[in-house]
Amino acid sequence: MRAPTLMAVVLAAILVVTVPAAQTGPAVEITFTSTQFSPVHETEWARDTLFRAFETETGIRVRFVSELAGPYMDRLQAEARVGRGSIDLTGTLHGDFPILVPAGVARDMAPVQADLARRGDRTFFPDLVRISQVGGIQAYVPWMQATYVIVAHKRAMAYFPRGSNPMAMTYDDLLEWGDAIKSATGTRRIGFPAGPGGLFGRFLHGYIYPSFTGSQVKRFKSPEAVEMWRYLRRLGGVLHPGSFLYSFMHEPLLLGEVWVAWDHTARLLPALRDRPDDFVVLPSPAGPRGRSFLSVIVGLTIPKTAPNAEAAARLIEFLTRPRTQVLTVQGVAFFPTVREAAGAVPTGGMKLLAEAVTAQQGARDARVALLPVGLGVRTGEFVPLYVDTFREISVLGKPIEEVLAAQARKLEELYRAMNAVCPPPDPAITPCRPD
Amino acid sequence: MAAADEVPDLARAGRPRIEWLPYLLLAPSLVFLGVFFAYPLVQAFGLSFLRPEGGLTAEHFQRMLGDTYFRGAITNSLLLTAIVVPIQVAIGLVIALLVNSRFRGHLWFLYICAIPLAISDLAAGLIWLSVFTERGYLNTLLHMVGAVREPLTYLSAEQPVWLYGAIIAAEVWRATAIVMIILLAGLQLIPRDYFETADVFGAGGWRKLWHVTLPLLRPSLQTALIIRTILAFQLFATVITLSGRQVPVLAGEAYFWYGLYRNPHVASAYAVLIMGVSVVITWVYLRALRTREEEVAG
Repeated sequence: MRAPTLMAVVLAAILVVTVPAAQTGPAVEITFTSTQFSPVHETEWARDTLFRAFETETGIRVRFVSELAGPYMDRLQAEARVGRGSIDLTGTLHGDFPILVPAGVARDMAPVQADLARRGDRTFFPDLVRISQVGGIQAYVPWMQATYVIVAHKRAMAYFPRGSNPMAMTYDDLLEWGDAIKSATGTRRIGFPAGPGGLFGRFLHGYIYPSFTGSQVKRFKSPEAVEMWRYLRRLGGVLHPGSFLYSFMHEPLLLGEVWVAWDHTARLLPALRDRPDDFVVLPSPAGPRGRSFLSVIVGLTIPKTAPNAEAAARLIEFLTRPRTQVLTVQGVAFFPTVREAAGAVPTGGMKLLAEAVTAQQGARDARVALLPVGLGVRTGEFVPLYVDTFREISVLGKPIEEVLAAQARKLEELYRAMNAVCPPPDPAITPCRPD
Repeated sequence: MAAADEVPDLARAGRPRIEWLPYLLLAPSLVFLGVFFAYPLVQAFGLSFLRPEGGLTAEHFQRMLGDTYFRGAITNSLLLTAIVVPIQVAIGLVIALLVNSRFRGHLWFLYICAIPLAISDLAAGLIWLSVFTERGYLNTLLHMVGAVREPLTYLSAEQPVWLYGAIIAAEVWRATAIVMIILLAGLQLIPRDYFETADVFGAGGWRKLWHVTLPLLRPSLQTALIIRTILAFQLFATVITLSGRQVPVLAGEAYFWYGLYRNPHVASAYAVLIMGVSVVITWVYLRALRTREEEVAG
């Protein structure tokens, strides 16, 4: 009788140990890397709110890693090269996919997109689905959108040029505004995120260039561009000198260093959330050739080497659900990619942002610019070309025509080497070439 | 086979056995250095001289030379090193001598002076940013005592002296401690006999410092200078925090070419240049500060 007793004890012990474990289920964890949500407050929000909600619902834990563009791309490409990976899901800018697709990182997301469509609870904006086709496959599922607007302190509105409409501001209005503040207070209160982590380059190529010249690349050294650089020199006289340190404009806005700031919606939101009654949100200005603005699209893709593609697809379903999309716009000011979420009425600071974005998109003179694509491994060189041009002309004071000619040669070489098409609003010429 | 047989014989004959313990203790450091220093070093060399498609090229170095920030970066790196390192060595030496004089409370003084050792360069930059930024401690203080009515902007290329001064202050504050620790260790190695002999000959404090302490401290000074100079060329987090890219430096440009332009080749060219400059300066130090036996003896 001893042997069966012993067996029973062992069995009981095994049951005691394993049953509770079986009840809680094996902990599934997926790794999600992204170039987005890099500011600390966004990372925190993503971990504590967004992914926590997903974990509560599905029991799948999300290890979220926000990385700089360089290491981010290197890691994805390295995993694709060795054919074995640890990343289950990744989310980045539309402009990165022309690198990720030929590198064999991104898988065709068409089946995932079709599954989402079958659910019938969300309608992706068709133009977003259209441009997510990269290199013959659907490279990503559209996740979030963003753009750039102006946030101004209410006390700055007293100096806004009389007779002009702030919701339809021009670049001349902006300069006059800065001048009025300067002559009344003796200080320069217009700020741009021209620091090392700032997105000032986007302002140059996606906003002011097309607004003055109607183009990002083709009219790079045109007479209109020379006129634009003369304008930027004048604007430099009313810019807060701290602009070269700013990465996120909500900080100087809240501190009161800057009264009028242009930046990415997500990088302005904290100011609006902290003190919604102190600020107004305005569309980006218009130039002689219209009101150009960038539409930033962030997409989700499952790498071919993903160890747990199924759980990653569930996270995509969660992230593109209308309710989650509303949560995202409220939390970090990235706008929805599905129609059902766009109808939701935001509150507080978000309401101000949403109104300005709508005014910008719906303006009669609106002109949409897209991030450049097709520059492949050399994508990273595009924006610095514009920022370097700014440095040479506005900071170092070199002759405009000379600098533009030299920089246009670099731009031409870049586009010729990569055989890339002009980014809208330029005409679709391949390879793109400054006239 | 014969050789294999001989080994135990020789060992028995009294030939010293190989003591493995030191090698074993060194191994982790060697593996660490190999994986995290030697291997990336070889890789950086490769990246800076090789074409992505294969084959040698000088193209990456040409792009570096043609970069709009290059001249500023090399000037600033040299200038900052030339200003910061002597200040650090001078202050480090004074603190080390003070601590070594063992005055009452010298240990507390040592601990307080060593605090910045534990602070990363980025954090140090942020601390000094909170001092010099427009709504920072300096302006608050000046405003409180009525020295300024409107806050001043210090960290702008329009105020190069302030901008440079802030970077120098941050660097001196952050990295003087390492110089002090090296020199203090060196001071404690000097045998007391030399000072006693000097006392016998009636040498005063200054003469002892000049003729005994400093010559005998030369190896430590050499080490401190080499370490600080090499690290000064790698400096960038403090500079970027305080100046953005208004004061470009070599290591910062390597960072931007990798992280922003996503061009590891030009980034590596910058890294190789930093290494080249560091090697040359180290060689100069080694030659200029050679310990000559006769000097010590004399």
